[in-house]
Amino acid sequence: MKVTVVSRGGREVIKGGFDLNDSATVTDLQEAIHKRTKKFYPSRQRLTLPIPPGSKDRPIVLHSKKSLKEYSDGNSGNLTVVFKDLGPQVSYRTLFFCEYLGPLLLYPVFYFFPDVYCFFGYSVSSVTHHPVQTYALYYWCFHYFKRIMETFFIHRFSHATSPISNVFRNCAYYWTFGSYIAYYVNHPLYTPVSDCQMKIGFGFGMLCQVSNLYCHIILRNLRGPDGNGGYQIPRGFLFNIVTCANYTTEIYQWLGFNIATQTIAGYVFLVVATSIMSNWALIKHRRLRKLFDGKEGRPKYPRRWVILPPFF
Amino acid sequence: MAGFLSVLRRLYLSVYNWAVFVGWLQVLVLAVKTLKESGHEQVYSAVERPLQLSQTAAVLEIIHGLVGLVRSPITATLPQISSRLYLTWGILYSFPETQNHILVSSLVISWSITEIIRYSFFGMKEALGFAPSWLLWLRYSTFLVLYPTGITSEVGLIYIALPYIKNSEKYCIRMPNKWNFSFDYYYAAILALGIYVPGSPHMYGYMLAQRKRALSKSKRE
Repeated sequence: MKVTVVSRGGREVIKGGFDLNDSATVTDLQEAIHKRTKKFYPSRQRLTLPIPPGSKDRPIVLHSKKSLKEYSDGNSGNLTVVFKDLGPQVSYRTLFFCEYLGPLLLYPVFYFFPDVYCFFGYSVSSVTHHPVQTYALYYWCFHYFKRIMETFFIHRFSHATSPISNVFRNCAYYWTFGSYIAYYVNHPLYTPVSDCQMKIGFGFGMLCQVSNLYCHIILRNLRGPDGNGGYQIPRGFLFNIVTCANYTTEIYQWLGFNIATQTIAGYVFLVVATSIMSNWALIKHRRLRKLFDGKEGRPKYPRRWVILPPFF
Repeated sequence: MAGFLSVLRRLYLSVYNWAVFVGWLQVLVLAVKTLKESGHEQVYSAVERPLQLSQTAAVLEIIHGLVGLVRSPITATLPQISSRLYLTWGILYSFPETQNHILVSSLVISWSITEIIRYSFFGMKEALGFAPSWLLWLRYSTFLVLYPTGITSEVGLIYIALPYIKNSEKYCIRMPNKWNFSFDYYYAAILALGIYVPGSPHMYGYMLAQRKRALSKSKRE
């Protein structure tokens, strides 16, 4: 099979293209491109079928596991693919690890080294923490430790990599908010809430964290060990009523933390995180509804809350 | 029904744009007049009311964008309006010590010329359906000089205000409090100055790209 590789502007990216076996897969094509261009390793390549001019459809992305024959129907023997360089890539595991390490390490600094508050003009005589501040430390560190463990042992990623620019963006988000919250919760002039409110907050939060872990385990089992699952309808536990139950439990978990610690910084973070996750949840919900439309033998996606019952 | 609504929309936008145009024209005329007759120290007191009115009216433009009355994305107008409102209310109005500085004159003159051109451009488009090419040219060319002069004036005035901000403790929230929150207007001002560093080349570059698009498009027509 003759494969021509062009850029989105129409230029030939690989002069002369490739002559590949008829049974070659997209992976073989990616490796051939990598061998020829040296710097474009496979996870950096985005290969799509050319869209006819004037068509408003989104381009079809080539899947690495499929054979090239499946994409060249009607014109077997010849295939043209459009190449896009996604830029330097970083594995999701690396990305998540960097993001979560910041909050895990930075928060305790404010707790164990109260001298930092001298930089902000506060005199720190002795280190007495309210019980709330100590529990908050445990809760926070448990949360990010859990996230790191899930990254390495639970999550199965559909796309192995992410552009390297996301490392800076995401780390800035997590590390800045982490420090911002840590500053206030561990502040020498911190005002704690009532004992009852603290217990309710942390108790509810821990319940949600455990539920969140269970949601992640359910999601993991939807995908086969080789990451081949594609999309399935999630079922079981809270997924029966909410599409993105994992986000729901995460949001409520932060709410629990905020009820217990009561800082504006914490609530700001909650609002921002909720809006980001709601965005993702909407996309995922729509995608699943579109995929599972009940036609051609596919099951119909059941009516469910998107992310935050009873709101939407 | 749809036709009636569209006429109403055009009428409202025409009135809005021409009204704010008049406001900024007042600012420019008063500023130049006061400069010539009394000197730069008096410029602020002369233009204060029309400046505050015209600049604050721009908040309506955010609503216009959100509601869909106009097509422009709010991501472009939001940073500009924020910096204008910050200077008008957060610096000049709040810290009278800055009001007799010469940078106030350069600020209001840069702003008013830009806005006069901009609002008359939109006013004509809404009222008459088109705008003359010389106005289009002005709209996309005067920024080349007025952005640098305006931004320099803004940054300069914030910088000059810093010691007064620090001493006055205005708009500051201190710990301890029930919500464990604090806000320091002085450090916020320093942060604002910091934003100008990447923000200004970004805005200037954006306008350059807009200029290229707008002027080449009109050439082709």
